Amino acid sequence: MSLLEVTGLQKIYKGRRGGTSVEALKNVNFTVEKGEYVAIMGESGSGKTTLLNILAALDKATSGTVLLDGMNLSTIKESAIAMFRRDNLGYVFQDFNLLDTFTLEDNIYLPLVLAGKRHQDMSARLSQIAPSLGITDILKKYPYEVSGGQKQRAAVARALITSPKMILADEPTGALDSKSSDELLELFSKVNQMGQTILMVTHSTKAASHASRVMFIKDGIIFHQIYKGSSTDTQMYQKISDTLNLLAQGGDLK
Amino acid sequence: MKAGLYPKIAADGIRKNGRLYIPYFITCILMVALFYIMHLLGFSGMLKNFEGASTARDMLKFGTYIMAVFGTIFLFYTQSTLVKGRLKEFGLYSVLGMNRRNLGRIIFFETAISWFIAMAGGLIAGVGLSKLAELGFSRLIAVDVNYSFNLSVSSIVATVIVYSFIFFLIFLNAVRRVRSASTINLIHADKAGEKPPKANWVVGILGFVILASGYYIAIKIQQPLSALIWFFIAVILTIVGTYLVLIAGSVLFCRILQKNKKYYYKTNHFVSVSSMAYRMKRNGASLASICILLTMILVMISSTSALYINREETLMNHYPRHLNAYALNYGYDKGYTELAEKLKNGIDERTKEYGASAKNETYFINYSLSGYYENSYLNLDINPLDNFTTIDYDKVVQVFFFDVDTYNRLTGENESLSERKVLAVVDGKVDVGDELKIGKETFSVVKKTDNTKSQLRNTVSTNVVSTIYVIVDDLDKVAELYKDYMDPTGGPMLAWYWIYDFDIDLDAEHQIELGEKLNKFMHDELSAKRFVNYCDSREMQRNDFVKTFGGLFFLGILLSIIFLVSCVLIIYYKQISEGFEDQSRFGIMQKVGMTKENIKKSINSQMLTVFLIPIVVACMHLAAVLPIIHKLLLLFGHNNMPLLLRCAGVCVLICGIFYAVIYKFTSNAYYKIVS
Repeated sequence: MSLLEVTGLQKIYKGRRGGTSVEALKNVNFTVEKGEYVAIMGESGSGKTTLLNILAALDKATSGTVLLDGMNLSTIKESAIAMFRRDNLGYVFQDFNLLDTFTLEDNIYLPLVLAGKRHQDMSARLSQIAPSLGITDILKKYPYEVSGGQKQRAAVARALITSPKMILADEPTGALDSKSSDELLELFSKVNQMGQTILMVTHSTKAASHASRVMFIKDGIIFHQIYKGSSTDTQMYQKISDTLNLLAQGGDLK
Repeated sequence: MKAGLYPKIAADGIRKNGRLYIPYFITCILMVALFYIMHLLGFSGMLKNFEGASTARDMLKFGTYIMAVFGTIFLFYTQSTLVKGRLKEFGLYSVLGMNRRNLGRIIFFETAISWFIAMAGGLIAGVGLSKLAELGFSRLIAVDVNYSFNLSVSSIVATVIVYSFIFFLIFLNAVRRVRSASTINLIHADKAGEKPPKANWVVGILGFVILASGYYIAIKIQQPLSALIWFFIAVILTIVGTYLVLIAGSVLFCRILQKNKKYYYKTNHFVSVSSMAYRMKRNGASLASICILLTMILVMISSTSALYINREETLMNHYPRHLNAYALNYGYDKGYTELAEKLKNGIDERTKEYGASAKNETYFINYSLSGYYENSYLNLDINPLDNFTTIDYDKVVQVFFFDVDTYNRLTGENESLSERKVLAVVDGKVDVGDELKIGKETFSVVKKTDNTKSQLRNTVSTNVVSTIYVIVDDLDKVAELYKDYMDPTGGPMLAWYWIYDFDIDLDAEHQIELGEKLNKFMHDELSAKRFVNYCDSREMQRNDFVKTFGGLFFLGILLSIIFLVSCVLIIYYKQISEGFEDQSRFGIMQKVGMTKENIKKSINSQMLTVFLIPIVVACMHLAAVLPIIHKLLLLFGHNNMPLLLRCAGVCVLICGIFYAVIYKFTSNAYYKIVS
């Protein structure tokens, strides 16, 4: 059984008072296996953020099902959704979404504190992941005191600390300079090699070239996908840009 | 650019941010109205007819200054939140090509509009409220008002000057904020991560020390004569302490909580403690303001209601009998004994002529001295009024000499004494040894008692300083010993009191009439000799008491209502502005896995803590100043601590309920914004 199974996903945004409605997702079907590193690419408005929001249970699909480890997201009660998200998913946002009232350390602890974990357990877990993320020295600092790259690494730590079934990343490199982006992508690869499933939405070719599989979404459907297989990052980069070029020219790959 | 553009932009800005500006305007208007009314009461002559009015007026004058400072702090605080919300808009103007000077102009017009609304609204509200108060007052008390709320030009001028200055400061502050930021900073101002406040140990501890010393003074003061000066000092210390403690001390406290890992990393505490630490520094000011307003309300209502409710007892203390005749002169004269007889007989005759008969007579003569008392020695050479600021007022003691026959007659005892052997009856916190030295003379004390017998207390109505009643065998001989002591003004120090109080079998109207007759008789006898004298009927004075204390009570209620409304506005303001601030924060937390339940709980715990702080601290303040209030009420002749405590209790209860209701309403508003 796959870790994530998405079948017939549709999302329609209704316009106000019967205005024109927009179909953000038409019919999305895909699966993600455990330990996979999947990138979803698409242009602005292609529906990729909508998809991610539905996967994260932040939004509800109009129709279709999402199964995470056998659990149907749409059957989870409203009141339990936040808890579900906390226990099963780690989310990395484009704009970090760190709370400025907390130190980085406390930001990372937040999901665990919400889950009612003991402080010893929390600090034990953090000391496991902090060195590989390179944030050991800045844990006591506040978000405003550190760089964007450091903030994003703290956000990754926050996503990882609950040992989630899957990490969802929404344009994680979108607000970073190229050096920080490279570092973050290296980090993702490393985390993935340790067995962590990652699903990333991006429109950066470079970011996507790190993934083991890239899905292209256009006009609300999965349009095409390519596997990295044994190719290097550079070769993957080439493949992706070719695909994107074709897509841009309106080519039909199906 | 067109000349009318800036005022238009300013007016639009205000209109579009109505949700924030309307409470701000109401706050401004109330602050101005409050200042006007307090200035009117404190500085114009309208309170001059009160007994104890000078005290009340001093308090109000003092209150006026406090209001000015308070208004400045508070308006500064609200304005800075307002400006923060508008920085993005200014940033946009800046992108569109306005320079800093143009922005300054917009701010100028905005401030000018606010100033105009505040001034016009505030003065109209002030004048209107004071007129309304006058009407309400005369209705409520149902007697002629012996003062009226007239329009006072000087109060208006003072209000305009003070608040124009405050608005000018506000304007400068806003301009400073816009000028110091670059365009890009302006645009991102609302998103900029703000530095969480560091725990400032020095300020925090200083706050606690100042607060503690304010409390210490308030509790320490024994004598109401010294109380007034020290009261003001205690009030200032308490206010400053409150601000420092709530601004810096609370951050400190939160940081200490955060250090306690077991406590801090709990679902319920984690979010609330950290966000409290984060915003306490800014919102400490508003919490302190709420706290001080609440304290003022509690103090005013509990003291004035105690005065009003206790008016009958106070009246009885002042006028123990239906008719109360009194004469006072300084020095010693052999003829006094004869004069005393003559006065008493004269009164008895006239009473009989009037067809009435006296009963329950209290009649006596005594001599009195006061000085600085230490170790059973009454030093008569230090004049307390001369060394007003340096002297320890608790040690000023008044001594009354009675002869033993009078004592036996008043108390029903059967004591006998010989020369230089005295009986000491102590009232207040004074220790008397076996020997008592008064001036140069020494007496041996054969017996000491506390003044538990109200009989003696009623004879001389003094609660202001501690008292020793010295019972001697021969009053004239003792008076002779002290006749040459002079007070610093050159007059004799020894005071001769003649007191004759009695009840009478007449109705109120005739009591008053007879009282007036007797009063006239005493004036005729004594005025030429420059004696202080009167014969008051209790019935006549009752009206005055009702007016005086009712008036003060009414003023207390009036000011409290205004304070309370300001309180409500501050709370509303705080909730709304914090709600907007927290919106995104709670959004993030939900994404990270915070349930709705968690959010509700965390908001509740946070708000409850934040909102309990002012009322708890206000109650502490009240408890600390109650002793001093008790002492001050003594100046009005009020001596009923249990009643004062009850009034304070009821006051706290009512305030608490009201506060809880406000809290409930505003926290709903907050919850709506964040979720």
